[in-house]
Amino acid sequence: MFFNSSRFIKSLSLLLIALLSVSGCSRSSAVLNKPSTNPRRITDDAGREVFLPDRVDRVISLAPNLTEIVFAVGAGRSLVGDTTYCDYPVEAKNIEKVGDTQHPNLERIIALKPQVVLVSTASQLEVFTEQLRSHNIAVFVTDPHDLEGVFRSIEQVGKIVGYMEQATALVSSLRARAMAVDNALKQSPRIRTFYQLSAEPLYTAGHDSFVTDLLERAGADSVTANVPGAWPRYSAEAALAARPDAIILPTGGSMGEGNGTIAKALATSPAAKTGRVYKINDDHLVRPGPRAVEGLEEMARALHPEAFK
Amino acid sequence: MTSLRQANQNRVTLRRTIITLLVLVAALVIVVGTASLLGSERLPVSNSLCALTTLGTRQCGLTSDHFDILFQIRLPRILLAAAVGGSLATAGASYQALLRNPLAEPYLLGVSNGAAVGTMLALLFFGSLEWSRPLMAFAGALVATFAVYRLARGRVGATPERLILAGVIVTTFLSSIIVFVTTMMDATRIRSFTFWLLGDLSGANTGLLPVPIAVVVVGAIILSLNARSLNLLMLGERDAFDLGVEVGRVRVTIFLIASLLVGSSVAASGSVGYVGLVVPHLTRLSVGSDNRISIPSATLGGALFVIIADTIARTVIAPRELPVGAITALIGAPLFIYLLKRV
Repeated sequence: MFFNSSRFIKSLSLLLIALLSVSGCSRSSAVLNKPSTNPRRITDDAGREVFLPDRVDRVISLAPNLTEIVFAVGAGRSLVGDTTYCDYPVEAKNIEKVGDTQHPNLERIIALKPQVVLVSTASQLEVFTEQLRSHNIAVFVTDPHDLEGVFRSIEQVGKIVGYMEQATALVSSLRARAMAVDNALKQSPRIRTFYQLSAEPLYTAGHDSFVTDLLERAGADSVTANVPGAWPRYSAEAALAARPDAIILPTGGSMGEGNGTIAKALATSPAAKTGRVYKINDDHLVRPGPRAVEGLEEMARALHPEAFK
Repeated sequence: MTSLRQANQNRVTLRRTIITLLVLVAALVIVVGTASLLGSERLPVSNSLCALTTLGTRQCGLTSDHFDILFQIRLPRILLAAAVGGSLATAGASYQALLRNPLAEPYLLGVSNGAAVGTMLALLFFGSLEWSRPLMAFAGALVATFAVYRLARGRVGATPERLILAGVIVTTFLSSIIVFVTTMMDATRIRSFTFWLLGDLSGANTGLLPVPIAVVVVGAIILSLNARSLNLLMLGERDAFDLGVEVGRVRVTIFLIASLLVGSSVAASGSVGYVGLVVPHLTRLSVGSDNRISIPSATLGGALFVIIADTIARTVIAPRELPVGAITALIGAPLFIYLLKRV
């Protein structure tokens, strides 16, 4: 043995204690965001209570849809950090990057001294959320399962950043557009539709996805509406047996060329035979933000051109 | 006198081999048949059996959708499962015999990860060329095999401990390369990739299906033909050499063919774990350690094992699916412990 193990452990633990207390100090002085005057208390989609100062002007977004919401309510200047996937609007690209949605960098986030970090459950950052919380950084989690949930996210983010009026106005204009689609489709028959998130392996939109609600509103009966989960891995033979009359391919946005062709199992479907395969910009469909309504309109027009003459 | 006894013994071995293999082939036919009747969609049993026995030449009253499900989706996937299972188990059985190490198997030796890195590079640089995947996987498997072998050979020769250490080192090194590349890749491709790393057989209905099938048939035959030399090699390299085994040639053949087997299966389905370790041990425990029986038995046993695992993977939460690698480990580990305890 090179060292006396018990002494080594003792000094190691002393060192650890010292380190912990130092980081504890810096934490309380630097990034503690508990405001001195009456903190606001907001409950997020994960059911957590989030304490926020009255004025929030340092926000980090860890998902492109949340970045879009912050800009859409007019609070783009409060955004001090976002992810490499945040590419809309163009200004979002110039915001300091804290990593991508799956691998955000804790140190950089702490260094940016945010008052709140916005997180989408889609990024699967439960552990990371806990880490941020343990550094006394307020984390607000959004988890919309339908278009109303997206509207609620917009209003909540608006409330957090102090742009409530703009958020309310935005939501009512978006809701009006959704209603317009609804009215246009009153007479239209529903179309059995398969939503192909990716062909290989085959992924679709399941029961918990807000896309399932968008499909419903666009006059489609999603053949996978009752499959558990938000984005389930789907059986090829089940897709073949479902015989959808239309197929939606989210592609052309962030996906680029990806997902541009239907899965082999769908080649014999009525949708493929009659050519009812529709490519819709994936950025409008996989991001539960303001542009989801554009996705809704695009799907509705593709599926029911007769209703929008 | 001795030669007469040996000839007699050979005849006994031959008969035992044939009986064992016939039993396994019969089991394979039954399992393939059963697996093609199971899936997220329920197919009419008698019509499907009728169509299966005519090998798809007659529709036997099946609707065209059911016919497509059976012959375009299920059967290719079952064949791929058989090829992958057979490849990995055959490779594992030969590594264990050649290296005289019960832990030698494609995954622990780093060969699977070598093939995975090869496939990944093929996807990154020659994405549109399907053929590049098995080729690059083969190359990756070969490089990993020789790296491990060279690392394992110290001044005192390749001890079993050194070999496994070298394997673990190469495996973890290659794993970190995989993690690095998947992190660098853009988000839309990560999903399919992480699934693939766990072993995924859903890519069965591509034009490349004949590759793993041809490789497993040819590879299993070549390795079985080397079984006699492997038996002698189990006595030790020097003794084998004295008994007339061309040790160098046999070693190169086994490494080449095993890398080919692992490469083709990883390129087609990702890294399906546990098969190369569990199946050869299971077959050795039940048919004995004579490689003339145990290597071809491992091929058929591996095929059976992965078909059963994949049938569970695609039915247990249907219409959703699990990666097959999760199931092979889930049933492989307890099965292995049970058999170890019994011996």
